Amino acid sequence: MKKKNSISKDYYGYIFIAPFIIIFITFILFPIFNTLYLSFTDARIRPGSWRGDFVGFDNFTSLLGDHMFHMAVSNTWMLWLFNFIPQMILALVLAAMFASTTYKLKGANIFKAVYYLPNLLMPVTIAALFNTFLSLHGPLNQILVGMLGIMPEARNFGAFALDTRIVVIFLQTWMWFGQTAIVLVAGMTSISPALYESAMIDGANQVKMFFRITLPLLKPVMLFVMVTSLVGGLQMFDIPHLYAGQFGNPDNSVLTVNMFMNLRRSFPSALLGYSGAISVLLFLMSSVVALVLFRIFREPDDAKVKKVRRVNS
Amino acid sequence: MTQNANSYLIKRWIIKALCYLFFIVLFVICIGPVYMLLINATRNTVQIHGGPSLLPGTSFFENWRSLSALGIDVWLGIRNSSIVAFSSTFLTVYFSLLTAYAVVVYNFRFKKALFVFVLAMTMIPANLYLIGFFQYMHTLGLLNTFIPLIVPAIAAPATVFFFKQYLEGSLSMDLIQAARIDGASEFGIFNRIGLPLAAPGAFTMGIFSFVTAWNSFMGPLFLLGGNQDLHTLPLIMMRMQGDTYQRDLGAIYFGMAITLIPIIIVYAIFSKYIVSGIALGAVKE
Repeated sequence: MKKKNSISKDYYGYIFIAPFIIIFITFILFPIFNTLYLSFTDARIRPGSWRGDFVGFDNFTSLLGDHMFHMAVSNTWMLWLFNFIPQMILALVLAAMFASTTYKLKGANIFKAVYYLPNLLMPVTIAALFNTFLSLHGPLNQILVGMLGIMPEARNFGAFALDTRIVVIFLQTWMWFGQTAIVLVAGMTSISPALYESAMIDGANQVKMFFRITLPLLKPVMLFVMVTSLVGGLQMFDIPHLYAGQFGNPDNSVLTVNMFMNLRRSFPSALLGYSGAISVLLFLMSSVVALVLFRIFREPDDAKVKKVRRVNS
Repeated sequence: MTQNANSYLIKRWIIKALCYLFFIVLFVICIGPVYMLLINATRNTVQIHGGPSLLPGTSFFENWRSLSALGIDVWLGIRNSSIVAFSSTFLTVYFSLLTAYAVVVYNFRFKKALFVFVLAMTMIPANLYLIGFFQYMHTLGLLNTFIPLIVPAIAAPATVFFFKQYLEGSLSMDLIQAARIDGASEFGIFNRIGLPLAAPGAFTMGIFSFVTAWNSFMGPLFLLGGNQDLHTLPLIMMRMQGDTYQRDLGAIYFGMAITLIPIIIVYAIFSKYIVSGIALGAVKE
């Protein structure tokens, strides 16, 4: 009787997941296929041309020869790489300090909370704020020229390609190092203390333990951080768009792939098919690189760990 | 021997001091710009041009009035952003929990396959979806309405995944069976047992979805670009940024402060939940 009762309730499963499934198919899955479809058409934002005609691989072939696309791709990679490397090093150092059982530093929770704060702030505001800070008469010039006297005259940071890139890279690092550090701390604290204890008995010092125990065991977490940062970083849009304008000026120095996609979508170009093709290529690029990273950094003993986990669960 | 112990203690003290110094430098780098922004929101343009200050001024309300005079309607932005952020957060939390509850409590066909598929979809970046979504919303006549920013919140695969893990650890089938015997409806059981049990996790997830929706820029730019009456705070800030060089700096700092203050207050109160939430999501992978 009881069993029959519980079986008869199982159809509620379908009722409960129905809203999710319906919205998922109509508002997420369908638009993804629609982007794919549009990337093979000449659709434009113009009365009567929103659907466009099928043009085969035309958008893709012209993209591969598009100088501005090449520039956007290399900008995006450069901006990601130069923010990811210092961010990872900083986060590793911080995490090692936070997780240290020898020094037992106090206030870790407060510092973690503050380091994560920039991630929660509105990117538009961050970009506007630094624009104001770095303007010709802004506080940075006031400090460097007036108060410290380091520079003879105010520098218009926004007018130099290199300065603009450095600011965008700084802002990306500023926004993300806290999150990376927190994730790494969680990974480090899950390493068994017994390993460190026995190493200490064998006379290993802190530095040795960090390189011989912590780093190797942290590899899966670091790989996770790297892949999520890569997939997210190649989508970079808000900060460069808002700090340096929609063209990423000067000289398109911080024009990213997504900004280029937005440029082609908005007026006067208004090319839907072409910008769809940009989205598809960006997606392919980030997926391929993410898969390659998994292949390279996945160690043979990962398989063993998985097996053990399976036996345990 | 004592000398050795002493030098060990001194070395230890120096290392600790260096660590704290490092922490404090980063602390200042993270808080400094935000602090300066909040301070400048209370100073007038003349004072701001005069140089940075550590102490607040007295022009808070003056800046407030000048911002409205610039024709930048921050309150409209707050209203629009609140509508979008609160409703999408509510939909994400409620329906993700409902979906996860169904996967944990009931047995139905294709459940596993469905779940694997949904999980795979969390890996696809939003960028692939935007162009197709934009054109599709145009076809449906929904561009320049809030609907495309709110309704898709019902289907949030990553949140479903989080709640599934959460409920598997906290939900007891005996409790559900007992409620059934008492004659409660299945939907009633979800609302009265499932929801309260998941409340702490729902709270953490709610904060994350709220912050994401509040700060979101690219979606509103694509979908609301044509109707200034519906512009959310980020879009209004973008228009205001054009004024950075010409007009009232005090007012502009005030406008920037308005976008940050709600987030800073929420974070000051709930930072514990938020910080623990970040690690939860990541180490499970």
